[in-house]
Amino acid sequence: MTKRPKIVTNEGPPDKRVSIMAYITKRPDSTYPAVIKPYKLDLTQFGEKVRDEVTFRITNVSDQDLDVSMVAYDGDYFEVELPGTISPGEWGEAKLKLVEEALDKEFEKSFTICVGDELNTRFTVPVKRKLRPSLQQADSDAGAGDKDAP
Amino acid sequence: MRTILLTLTLTVVLAFAGSSALGGPNMSIPETDFDFGYVPQQAKVSHYFWLHSTGDSTLVIEKVVPG
Repeated sequence: MTKRPKIVTNEGPPDKRVSIMAYITKRPDSTYPAVIKPYKLDLTQFGEKVRDEVTFRITNVSDQDLDVSMVAYDGDYFEVELPGTISPGEWGEAKLKLVEEALDKEFEKSFTICVGDELNTRFTVPVKRKLRPSLQQADSDAGAGDKDAP
Repeated sequence: MRTILLTLTLTVVLAFAGSSALGGPNMSIPETDFDFGYVPQQAKVSHYFWLHSTGDSTLVIEKVVPG
């Protein structure tokens, strides 16, 4: 899929465009030459224990070494450690860690990696964070509400 | 339905081109294409494009038309 939004400015015509391309896959668990699990990262904060990092696995399902590198990510929200070179049939563990400024934010972002095969195949991993009140906090809030009720 | 939510984030960098002789506003886009590669179906992904104002007057982004 390719999208080409047009940017209209006071510069006048011709308008300029950017282009975004994506290969939408229904089966992210059977991609080639690598499989990423989980293929979506969710760092939703449910309780009081801070969820600020998540690990994911990149499996090399090809017959050649893969050299995993970062293409693009949003450093205002997270940092990503990648495993480097992964041998055929092996897997490497990667880690995404939120930056401190992102802990109290809700967001839906993504990062894109390249696995360094002859086609320079890319993968984009969605990253989501929502903030849910802890059960303890919710109970406390409910209690406070009861006390104030007439 | 085979849909995907794509968020396009456009970021404007105001670069003052003091010696520019272009006349009027001018915009340059260092990177115009981005390939996400594999994207899971119904995922929301995003990418920043940097827009540089390289003219000698203020650049106004009037609108972005999906395409």
